Amino acid sequence: MIMIPTNKYIKLLFIAALPFLGGCAKKFLEIPPQGQLTSDQALKDPNAAAELVGGVYNSLYFGGFDKNTVGFEWVMATDVASDDGDKGSTSGDFDINGAGDIDNFRSNANNGIFNNLWLGYYTGIARANQAIDILGKATFDSTTRNRLIGEARFIRGMYYFNLVRSFGGVPKIIRYPEPAELTKDEFNTRASVADIYAVIIDDLQYGVDHLPLKGDPAAQVGRATKGAAQSFLAKVYMYQKNWQKTFDLTDAVIKSNLYSLVPDYSLIFREHPVNGMGGNNNSESIFEVQTGPSLTEGAASPLFSNGQGPRAVKGWDDLGFGFNNPTADLVAAYEANDTRKNATIIFIQPTAGAPNVSTGTVLWDGYRLPSQDSVVNQRYSYKAYHSPIAESAQPSGGKDKKPKNIRLMRFSEVLLMYAEAAAMLGNAGEATAKLNMVRTRAGLPDGVGTQDNIWKERRVELAMEQDRFFDLVRQGRAGTVLRAHGKTNFTDGKNEVYPIPQAQRDISGGRLTQNNGY
Amino acid sequence: MKKILTIGDAGPYAVKKALLFMKLTFLLMFAGMLQVSANVNGQGKVTLKLNQAEISKALNSIEGQGTYRFLYNSRLNDIGKKITIDVTNAEIKDVLKGLFSGTDLTYTLLANNLIVVRSAALTLQDIKVTGKVTGPNGEPLPGVSVYLKGSSRGTTTDNNGEFTLTVPENGTLLVSYIGYDAQEVAVNSQAVVNVKMVASNKVLDQVVVVGYGSQRKRDVTGSVASVSGADIAKQPVLTATQAIQGKVAGVQIISSGDPNSNPTVQIRGVGTMLGGLSPLYVVDGVITDDIRNINSADIVSMDILKDASATAIYGMRAANGVLLITTKKGRPGKMLISYDGTVGVKEIARLVNMAGAKQYANYVNEANVYYGSGDSIITSAQLAAGGNTDWYDAITKKSLQQNHNLSISGGGDNINYFLSAGYVGDGGIIQTNNFKRFTLRSNNEYKISNKLKLSSLVSYSRANVRNVNLDVFNIAYRAAPYVPSKVGNKYGNTSLSNNISNPLLLLDAENANSKADRIQGTFAADFKPVSWLTLRSSMGIDINYFNNITYASKYDNAGPNSVFIESGGQQVVNRSKLTVQNDNTNKWVWDNTATIAKTFDRHSLSLLLGVTSEEFRFNTSTGTRLDVPASPDQWYLYQGTDTTATADNIGDKWARNSYLGRFSYSYDNRYMLNFTFRADGTSRFPVQNRWGYFPSLGLGWNISREGFMSNQKTFDNLKLRGSWGRVGNDQIASNLFVPIATPNVPYVFNGGQYYGISFNQAVDKNLKWETTEEYDLGLDFAVLQNRLSGTIDLYDKKTSNALINVKFNGQYAGSFDTYITNAASFTNKGVEFSLNWNDKIATDWSYNVSGNIAFNRNRITGLNGGAALVDGNVGAYSTTLSDNGHPIGSFYLLQADGVFQTAAQIAASAQKDAQPGDLRYKDISGPNGKPDGVIDNFDRDFSGSYQPNFTYGISGGLNWKTFDFSFNTYGTSGGKIYNGKKADRPNAGDNIETDVAKNRWTPDHPSNSIPRANINALPASTYFLESGSFFRINNLTLGYTLPRTMLTKYKVQNLRIFITAQNLATITGYSGFTPELYSNKSTTANGLTTVIPSATNAGIEYKIYPTTRTFAFGVNLGF
Repeated sequence: MIMIPTNKYIKLLFIAALPFLGGCAKKFLEIPPQGQLTSDQALKDPNAAAELVGGVYNSLYFGGFDKNTVGFEWVMATDVASDDGDKGSTSGDFDINGAGDIDNFRSNANNGIFNNLWLGYYTGIARANQAIDILGKATFDSTTRNRLIGEARFIRGMYYFNLVRSFGGVPKIIRYPEPAELTKDEFNTRASVADIYAVIIDDLQYGVDHLPLKGDPAAQVGRATKGAAQSFLAKVYMYQKNWQKTFDLTDAVIKSNLYSLVPDYSLIFREHPVNGMGGNNNSESIFEVQTGPSLTEGAASPLFSNGQGPRAVKGWDDLGFGFNNPTADLVAAYEANDTRKNATIIFIQPTAGAPNVSTGTVLWDGYRLPSQDSVVNQRYSYKAYHSPIAESAQPSGGKDKKPKNIRLMRFSEVLLMYAEAAAMLGNAGEATAKLNMVRTRAGLPDGVGTQDNIWKERRVELAMEQDRFFDLVRQGRAGTVLRAHGKTNFTDGKNEVYPIPQAQRDISGGRLTQNNGY
Repeated sequence: MKKILTIGDAGPYAVKKALLFMKLTFLLMFAGMLQVSANVNGQGKVTLKLNQAEISKALNSIEGQGTYRFLYNSRLNDIGKKITIDVTNAEIKDVLKGLFSGTDLTYTLLANNLIVVRSAALTLQDIKVTGKVTGPNGEPLPGVSVYLKGSSRGTTTDNNGEFTLTVPENGTLLVSYIGYDAQEVAVNSQAVVNVKMVASNKVLDQVVVVGYGSQRKRDVTGSVASVSGADIAKQPVLTATQAIQGKVAGVQIISSGDPNSNPTVQIRGVGTMLGGLSPLYVVDGVITDDIRNINSADIVSMDILKDASATAIYGMRAANGVLLITTKKGRPGKMLISYDGTVGVKEIARLVNMAGAKQYANYVNEANVYYGSGDSIITSAQLAAGGNTDWYDAITKKSLQQNHNLSISGGGDNINYFLSAGYVGDGGIIQTNNFKRFTLRSNNEYKISNKLKLSSLVSYSRANVRNVNLDVFNIAYRAAPYVPSKVGNKYGNTSLSNNISNPLLLLDAENANSKADRIQGTFAADFKPVSWLTLRSSMGIDINYFNNITYASKYDNAGPNSVFIESGGQQVVNRSKLTVQNDNTNKWVWDNTATIAKTFDRHSLSLLLGVTSEEFRFNTSTGTRLDVPASPDQWYLYQGTDTTATADNIGDKWARNSYLGRFSYSYDNRYMLNFTFRADGTSRFPVQNRWGYFPSLGLGWNISREGFMSNQKTFDNLKLRGSWGRVGNDQIASNLFVPIATPNVPYVFNGGQYYGISFNQAVDKNLKWETTEEYDLGLDFAVLQNRLSGTIDLYDKKTSNALINVKFNGQYAGSFDTYITNAASFTNKGVEFSLNWNDKIATDWSYNVSGNIAFNRNRITGLNGGAALVDGNVGAYSTTLSDNGHPIGSFYLLQADGVFQTAAQIAASAQKDAQPGDLRYKDISGPNGKPDGVIDNFDRDFSGSYQPNFTYGISGGLNWKTFDFSFNTYGTSGGKIYNGKKADRPNAGDNIETDVAKNRWTPDHPSNSIPRANINALPASTYFLESGSFFRINNLTLGYTLPRTMLTKYKVQNLRIFITAQNLATITGYSGFTPELYSNKSTTANGLTTVIPSATNAGIEYKIYPTTRTFAFGVNLGF
């Protein structure tokens, strides 16, 4: 038992008060984030800036049914919109407010695909802006620094190019603002198309000026190179009909002698080369999205391959969702003996009448697709095919994140841009020469380098590579061609661009204006 | 009989003191007997003449005169003092006054003329009082508080209603017990004080827990409600909060049928737009967010603090009210063993009828004629070959629910103990679901001395759950009925029909088992150096170890190992996968308080000062490997292929530090004032905004105690309360003000993986406290001899700087297009009524009825420059918009306006492309704010919210002899529900409800309410919006207590058997599974994912666990 004499109460009170004082320790509430790298810490790390640029490249994987850059929904917004691809899959699948609406030009501003693209590009742009801001303050050697800025700006320019083609004028954001600035008009109103093109040209020109050539020790495979910047800048100028610039830039790429056509077209889209030809990062690859079978399966564009893979009615473990089916119109666009046709399109064999059994379609790797009764659609894109037998599998055995590199710029396109620019500049000889390089590789007889012929060649050379729709728009004949193809909803002056996503307009408080007709 | 108390010098002083008490007691009892036998009148006069004699001699002298006898300790200092006295025939009190003047001696004259002389300086003359407290019918009342008035010295009665307390012989005992009138009983030196309590409806003398202490209800100036543990334990529910549904005005409980769910509790409306929607829970003083580990049978009472003046003492977390839980403690006396148990059957409360195979085929084929290729989606051959599956039958079940509790309690002079063990088993109503919880509790109190008390209240719980993927509930809605669920050991291949998984296979193939071990406890020391001061230090701990093992089985969809009747499709798992997750949560709270309580005259004062600090640490690790064998004994990562192993680990840590104070003053129990203040520092805000200050003021006026009320008979109690207070909310993820890099963002360079970083979030570097200010005006009354009592409360809450997720345009971006900042303000205004009626009809009959109703109006008043918050996504559509002037989470939809019947109607409408049978929408507006002849997003309008206009509950009981019957009901009115599962129909082959299949518009059967067959999801419109109002009989219980005469032979104290029905019937217009919807939303910040209730996403039926009904039989047994 305890007995405390009265005269010690004071002491006791003092003891009791101790914890009151102890709580004052300021440090107690100063808790740094656990297991997290803060921006302050990151900026003290010399590797951080380079890692931030790595984060910009990572945005190339955005895909699936989430935000997209050059992934599955970009395919829906380009190939499916064009006369090359039909929506595919089953009739109701991803139809309303999805790819079906795009296919038929009935999309409104609620179509989630557009919002996903918007978010994907601007997320990538935000990452680029951050990296560029931080690199701007960095003090390490300027060559490396400028190269890294060049890579980030290359990707930003590429994204703005896709944005401006998709939506017309969009908000111009080339710095990383504080959240408090978010409500400013600057970030909630659309810049003009010309302003956006100025940003693109500025970014890509910076890349041309500061990026190393392919093969330079600093140019690891997969990083943006001078050649890539020149090629994309050439394409941008081509969209602006600045033929001289297009010509000069493509000429420089050709004369760099760093790129050459893969002799066998069908090997371009493989993972592994055959006899040194084709495969990932082959000789004609100028820029492509690099993927790999990572443990977390994070180094791939989700659904890019699977989304376009042949789909089963029943009876076999299929390859995918069956979207983006090559159209009959595309099939017809190939000249006889064009080797590209069977390298671009997987044809499903008709069902054999009993008692015969169809051989099905045997793909390059020996994988057999059953005949039509077991497959939903008639044709699929071969360029999105990723072999379940002969190419890298996902560690989990899943199909959604097959490591399929996406070819964004090939040398053959450079040749065709060169040819078109030459034709427009009156240099018919050069136009024909380069056109025929492409035709020869495809096993076709020589042609004449007229703009018309080059346009035709672009279609079959670049079919199912997300080029056709905007190419038609550029050529000024999207309405004519697409209506003739049966897309009667196409309205001139409206459908050349997509609607500004309603979700974004809502957030801007209506300050983002809508495109004509939507 | 003189000077018999001579105490030797040996032994410590305190022991001597105890001995003295014992002897005194014996003596006084003996003296009491003398009183009976001797019958002394005690009025004798004294004559005394002494010069310079010791006082003791004077006393001897008086004894010698025959009337009086003295009792004193011969070691008293002043007893040997010399005095001179000369009195004749004087009154004894005058004589003694003279004798003792100038000394520290004082005396007590006992009724039998025994005079006890003691030193006034010491309290040695305390006596030990024993007694028994009984109820109106003489039954012993255990657990009654017996306190010495004006001190904190007290005890509670044991199981036989008996108590022992050492008090000054002239002291007054305060005897109080919930449900009875408190009594003040003067000790008058009686060694035995028996008290008979009078049942009362007056709740004024209840002691309510108010945070860091307790107050008499009489003195409370805030809005506080209590629910007794007995009321909670009565219902066969798994979480205590479920049992208070409908019982407290203004407290809305939204519970789910999921056996391991934490019901959403909303006090006085939606109190926050983002995190921390739930109230703060305080279990025996320990702050927590989750009380699923608490066994209902262990609860004594739950006190709900509703207004800011009551909650402000908990400042930082109190914005949504506080729920205080007090667990049982032992009482001195005989050991009591009790067993309470229920065994019952649990089933789904409501089902939705889905179309059968033929109705389904008919519908989807017709839709394909309207919208698609026109081909038959389902052929007659397919129908003939298939079955007619009711998918809900396939995935649901009835299960056994059981609940067993065993407790042992008792105590002695120095130690009280309460030990309990509980087991809950609940199979849920979805196949493979299962839940078991085992709890242990040990609540002990150690009285080290009269001044020092230690206590430890510790609980351990283990919960084992086999979780189910709630997607199955939506998938079963969509699954084609002609596909068989399972035949033999092969499953129907639903992915071939409409591209969805077979829900039964999903349940069977994924085994997600979690085990949660949690230790929660309070260790406290109460030190009372003097009667008016209590120092308390308590350490609360909450340690949670969570382990989750998820095994996803491998199965093939083609080839010889196909698990399907028909091979192919999208549902396939190529490689088995084991995921092991281990979480550790460790939290401590250290409270140090000093309470000063003083009463003089009619003034009663108390002052509480305290400091508390708390720290939270969390650590989670997850590993996965593929190709782990299927046997559960092999479910260790070791068994998987290491080339596919992944590992992740992340954590969290935060801390708070607070200072608090409360000053209470009451004058004559008429005027009351409570002032509280709290300063909270939290690591969750940046240093410049770290501290929040939360004051409150409450005033009370007990009108019925005024003089002018003394002659009136109407009011037995009338009290007016008014309060103001400010509270805060810091319930957001840690470090939201610090930009944090997402590491390991991969890219492939040179064929190898490179890990980059990205900053994926925008942060408000100036994040600050969300604060809520609240006014409350309350009136408590009791009339008709306390038979009718009630409370009315009016409140006005305004929350400002509310933390919300501000969505910004994608163009600003990071991976997230939202960031958290203080950018909203909103109000909740309401009125609450509760009434209780309690009466006895005849000796054998008594009954009580109580009801409450609460109206609340929630409005967003300011989104500071931020745009309205869009949420509630169902498929491709958002359904809610939280905007100025509207309740949080308001539905914002196209306005369905019947069905087009004729081409003429269409031509005159804004939907030129429509066909007869299509839904018609109102053309409300357009880009220029005027109807524009186009139906688009401009035509959406606010259409109500899930928040009800009012909630209400009626409950009551009827007792006849030893039968008891009780009922509880609950209802809400005015809320809306968006039928998300019905709206989201992404595939042409998705099933529909029978009602839709049968009553849809067809040319021959033109309906104006249900449109023609459609192939895809319709836009979000009021067509899918339904009334969420409902009224439910929550519980009916009929019990019978066996007469004691039958039990004594078996040494059984009491035995009651009962039957109970939980969730018996719901009356609602809503067509879905339940109008009670849970709106959890998961958010990921800084690598940590939290699932919290979300007000902006509320009222959408989508992937929900339906509510359940339970019928049970139960026993209460006490030894």
